[in-house]
Amino acid sequence: MENLPAIEVLSLHKAFGENRAVQGVSFEVGQGEIFSLLGPNGAGKTTTISMLSCLLRPDDGDARIMGHSIRSDGNGVKSALGVVPQDIALYEDLTARENLSFWGKMYGLRGSALKKRVDEVLDIIGLRERANERVGKYSGGMKRRVNIGVALLHKPKVIYMDEPTVGIDPQSRRNILDSVVALKDQGMTVLYTTHYMEEAQELSDQIGIMDHGQMIANGTHDELVKLVGGQTRIDLTVNAEPQRILGAWQSVEGVEQASVEDEKISLLVADSNLVLPHLFEAATRQSMRITSVDIREPNLEAVFLHLTGRALRD
Amino acid sequence: MIRILDIAFKDLLQLMRDFKTFMFLLLMPILFTFLFGYAFGGFGGNSDSRLPVGYLSQDNHWVTDSLHDLFSESDLISLRENVFLSPADLEQQVANGDLAAAIIVPHGYGRDVLKNRTDLRLIVIADTSSTAWTSVEAELLRITSRLDGAVRTATIIERIDSERMPFHYAFEKTLDAWNDPPIAVTETKSPAVAKVSDSGAALAHTAPGMILQFAIAGLLTAAQIIVTERKTRTLQRLLTTSTRRIDVALGHFLAIFLLLFTQFAILIVFGQVILKVDYFRVPEATVLVAVSAALCISALGLLIGFAAQSEEQAITFSLIPMFVFSGLGGAWVPLEVTGATFHAIGHVSPVAWGMDGFENIVARGLGFESVLLPSAALLGYALLFFSLAVWRLYASEEK
Ligand SMILES: Nc1ncnc2c1ncn2[C@@H]1O[C@H](COP(=O)(O)OP(=O)(O)OP(=O)(O)O)[C@@H](O)[C@H]1O
Ligand SMILES: [Mg+2]
Repeated sequence: MENLPAIEVLSLHKAFGENRAVQGVSFEVGQGEIFSLLGPNGAGKTTTISMLSCLLRPDDGDARIMGHSIRSDGNGVKSALGVVPQDIALYEDLTARENLSFWGKMYGLRGSALKKRVDEVLDIIGLRERANERVGKYSGGMKRRVNIGVALLHKPKVIYMDEPTVGIDPQSRRNILDSVVALKDQGMTVLYTTHYMEEAQELSDQIGIMDHGQMIANGTHDELVKLVGGQTRIDLTVNAEPQRILGAWQSVEGVEQASVEDEKISLLVADSNLVLPHLFEAATRQSMRITSVDIREPNLEAVFLHLTGRALRD
Repeated sequence: MIRILDIAFKDLLQLMRDFKTFMFLLLMPILFTFLFGYAFGGFGGNSDSRLPVGYLSQDNHWVTDSLHDLFSESDLISLRENVFLSPADLEQQVANGDLAAAIIVPHGYGRDVLKNRTDLRLIVIADTSSTAWTSVEAELLRITSRLDGAVRTATIIERIDSERMPFHYAFEKTLDAWNDPPIAVTETKSPAVAKVSDSGAALAHTAPGMILQFAIAGLLTAAQIIVTERKTRTLQRLLTTSTRRIDVALGHFLAIFLLLFTQFAILIVFGQVILKVDYFRVPEATVLVAVSAALCISALGLLIGFAAQSEEQAITFSLIPMFVFSGLGGAWVPLEVTGATFHAIGHVSPVAWGMDGFENIVARGLGFESVLLPSAALLGYALLFFSLAVWRLYASEEK
């Protein structure tokens, strides 16, 4: 039991007619880890999660959640699992407390244990004071918090969170990210999907990058960044025709690649600290001014770009 | 199992949150019952829910005239007289189902009754296998024996006291005495009371019609809860818990049933107490029809909830039964007045069976057995709708 992976995904496939939404996704999440599925819209994240929560039957492949197969032991899976859906799945005309209480019953809690747990969850999501207001009157961020709270009621071993921070204010977002870390500290395993690379970077032990239904890379943040060779990207604009300076900058030592897009010059460099002074010198020699500098340390965005040739957020 | 109750309770809580809609569901039908009742009462013929019985008299004796008057006053049958029709025509009309029965008074009948002879009898044409016949027969027996009784009493009185009370007068008096049997004295002939019972006849049809009509409005509100549950994907979330699909279906079904049954109960009590529609005459029959009808319409609500893609579609899906089923089923106009063919087609609609059930009790004065067939039909429809709904739930949300 101890060494058993919490989530073990074995080559899942799912097609909706011609649309092959998930094509052979495999990964493993150890107990107590946070695993992020990172990918653009339509990558197949929700479809994967739906299969892992027994809502969709896979065309092929299998997965085991705490040892329970999604194909043959749906009830075992469901009892080990809390699911935070991408859409806010709550009854808007009921209060937060009524919602939590109803969902608690659906998870099999009753009586004083239920009442106690509802209060605990209200504390966790920080809505105890406003528990008796209708969810429909809440802000987007508060709804998101209740949406998460529901999945915590029965203290599941594994929790899925499908883009839980979409469309909310920074404060609620902070609250949610902190609570994810708190869940991990309590020993929960979290499968988290997002298309914000900052979130994946901040939270995850492991990150899987998905695109077009496939897992195109999988590893720790550092492992993934190494895929792009650790290059830093510098974007600059100047107060003249960019082509005039391009040649000079290309020949600066340490610049490995240079390109112009619109008015912006993009350079891939090994170390920005060494290169930047030379770039300014070259500009001064041609009596040009650099009007903006944007340094991008290697990150998941770059990894995605490197692997797919597209930006993560299209 | 207990989750069924949890889900039903949650649904009812949601329904009651929208307090205005909730009150609307309970109060509107009461208002509409009044409006329609008086409207149809005003149209006269339409509101006549009595059984149509052909009448042809070949006798013109004053006793026969009294018989005619007794028939015309009946609450149960309404005479259709047409001097141009022959006995054969009447027979045809009975066969077609246009008439519940036909009565032919043979020449010399009045005189025979007066002489206390029984050579001549009323000729009655009827389909004795029909449910209507049972009530017509009972009414015929009641009226003829009343006529007979009056004749005998008058004969006796005349024999005792022919000076002070000539036969004619004694006969009239005795018939009148029947009109006001001692037990009914409180309901005498004050015009106010008479008016209420007049509209009562119209309402005997309208009130059950409104009950069924508004059940469909209640069904819509409940169906929308299910549609919203699917749209907000709370239903999907329910399925990620260990709650079984059949429990979800039964929970919603129970909630709609409780809503509709409450609606029914309020309207039945209101109909009985205020409108004097006599639902309590055979209480067990009324309960059976109400439960069957509520189960049937709830199952329809469940089906709409699981089949409609959007709230708008749910409204459309509910309006179809509201108009087609109600119109077809005779919730607005009694099926009797629409002719035999339409009467038969109408019974494709469960509303027709619901109307039959209620009207057998409140308008046709029939007993408990008369609601067994309508109730069975309603329960059959309930089972059909429920199965379709569950099938939709299992098919639409992939396992
Ligand atoms: N029920 C469905 N029927 C048909 N196609 C579907 C269904 N669900 C998803 N798809 C398709 O499958 C593909 C993957 O969708 P999915 O929702 O899994 O992506 P996602 O990574 O969660 O995207 P997002 O970030 O927008 O939530 C998309 O092309 C989508 O249109
Ligand atoms: Mg998604």
